[in-house]
Amino acid sequence: MKHLKPLNQKAQLLDQAAAEDRVEEVIAMSAVAGCTATTDPGWEVDAFGGVASLCQPMESDLYGCSDPCWWPAQVPDMMSTYPDWNKDAQASAEDWRNLGTVFPKDQ
Amino acid sequence: MMTRLRDYVGAASLAAALASLAQPALAAGRTAEQVLGETCAACHMKEGDGQFSRISHQRKTPEGWLMSIARMQVMHGVQIDDADRRTLVKYLADRQGLAPSETEGVRYAMERRLNTVEQFDEQTTQMCARCHSGARVALQRRPVKEWEHLVNFHLGQWPSLEFQAQSRDRDWLPTALNEVVPKLASQYPLDNPAWSDWQKARPTAAALPGQWSFSGHLPAKGDLRGVMTVSAGEGDSFKVSVDGQYADGTPLKGSGSAILYNGYEWRGNLKIGEVAMRQVFSALNGEMRGRMFETEHDERGLDFVAAKAGTPRLLAVQPAYLKAGSEAELTLVGSDLSGQPDFGPGVEVVKVLEQSPERVRVKVRASADAAAGSRAVALGELKGANLAVYGSVSEVKVVPAFSIARIGDNGGSTPKVQGRFDAEAWGQDAAGKAFRIGYLPAQWSVAAFNEQAVEDEDVKYAGTMQADGVFVPGDAGPNPARKMSTNNAGNLKVIAELKDGDQPLKGEGQLIVTVQRWNNPPLP
Repeated sequence: MKHLKPLNQKAQLLDQAAAEDRVEEVIAMSAVAGCTATTDPGWEVDAFGGVASLCQPMESDLYGCSDPCWWPAQVPDMMSTYPDWNKDAQASAEDWRNLGTVFPKDQ
Repeated sequence: MMTRLRDYVGAASLAAALASLAQPALAAGRTAEQVLGETCAACHMKEGDGQFSRISHQRKTPEGWLMSIARMQVMHGVQIDDADRRTLVKYLADRQGLAPSETEGVRYAMERRLNTVEQFDEQTTQMCARCHSGARVALQRRPVKEWEHLVNFHLGQWPSLEFQAQSRDRDWLPTALNEVVPKLASQYPLDNPAWSDWQKARPTAAALPGQWSFSGHLPAKGDLRGVMTVSAGEGDSFKVSVDGQYADGTPLKGSGSAILYNGYEWRGNLKIGEVAMRQVFSALNGEMRGRMFETEHDERGLDFVAAKAGTPRLLAVQPAYLKAGSEAELTLVGSDLSGQPDFGPGVEVVKVLEQSPERVRVKVRASADAAAGSRAVALGELKGANLAVYGSVSEVKVVPAFSIARIGDNGGSTPKVQGRFDAEAWGQDAAGKAFRIGYLPAQWSVAAFNEQAVEDEDVKYAGTMQADGVFVPGDAGPNPARKMSTNNAGNLKVIAELKDGDQPLKGEGQLIVTVQRWNNPPLP
């Protein structure tokens, strides 16, 4: 890391968090069963253990993340498993209500 | 394939899928051997002796098998109806399940305790539990070859996993194959004496019908006690009814069915009034223990323990605390209860108010100098419950200390996931050692967790804390009233305040209010 310089505000915050040894706190929050600890960006929790640096509203760029399977355990991945997940929600910001849950139901 | 996938996407509900684990397989369908031979064998090679490639070399929980079969439906287009799927889950969970000792410490995943902060070694946390719970891994048993297949499948199905943080910093695939696989095969092996011993000693379902006295606790609501009646159905299925009452007098009454997997994995499916509830219990040695939760809102759930009539057992004392110098009513809960209650020195039984085989209700008085600390309660010869006697509260903890709530509803497919909190009081004994008193009533509020949360007005948007310690998150969807129309997410402090005499006490926890998840299988 010593050869890298933070260029924007978010990178500076990250640098600061690492310097202040706040990494442990972040791990406690993202080790809650079933939440993803993938925080670049995170789904539930950001790299600081909060929510301010998440890509939100998530509807604005949801498919940019679900397409390449960024959090496949939480958000249906559209590259391999659920290619039709958004068939009724082409514009996620307007149509997000049409996105369904994916575990097969018992009839 | 596309058309079939569409059938599964949409309004599919976790509720209904989970409910299937609690429904008996119908006799009219095919046998498990037929399903394996006719449906599964389309891809899985027969290996002789009733064995099939992949399938016969793994062991899992009922939830684990349900997820595997569901994955075959979603990813490989397997056509299997619900009755056949139930038959197959039952067959596989019975023959290739986990011994009780193999589920120890990770039952929280089956019990849907989704605020559990997991504790796995660093490598397992980063390589596996980075995306899903570590418990999902720890509840499987495989030999080296099968763990290898699982790694390869993951990389093939989700290739971007190599580019994410805690993955791009290492040679992911060789690490997974050469380090993680041998570790998992040794920690979670297919062949294990615990499993062969369990298969020999496994009890039958015949031991379960009868009356069960139960004790429970619903966070943000209180203690519960009552009787569960179990009668035998076909195979390992049962009819179940519960008749109980919360400490505040609210009834809990309803009925449904249950099924027993692998000699001890009890899965019930009940209607309590209009509310569907599931039971995930371990039924062992005359006790059932686990969690009973709302099917649609699994965050609303009871810690549950029950003892079967026929064996004297003391399960709990409710409430499990008593203030020195005060009088209170306590209830002992258990099965076949008889004899004199004894709460130890300094606590006098003023009057026995009610005595039945399931409960003994007494009025007690604690002297002002009764020793502070946790003490064993006796009823005749019976022990098994503890009472905390305290002079003062020294500390208050918010339980759970870390938790997640999720925005939802507002026309979307996912319900809001609430936060539910208890204020856990702690005291100090004469030696200065901390002891748990129990859950005391508190005043509840939320505050911004940090400066960022103040700036983003998280308290205003993320939801509402009710007086009873239930946090109801905000609506799903972008919120035009917020900066950049961001979601109603928030980073909050949960604050419990209570008064012990004139002494105000405060405990704090952290609540992340975050976005919904659409992929929500039985094991997180």
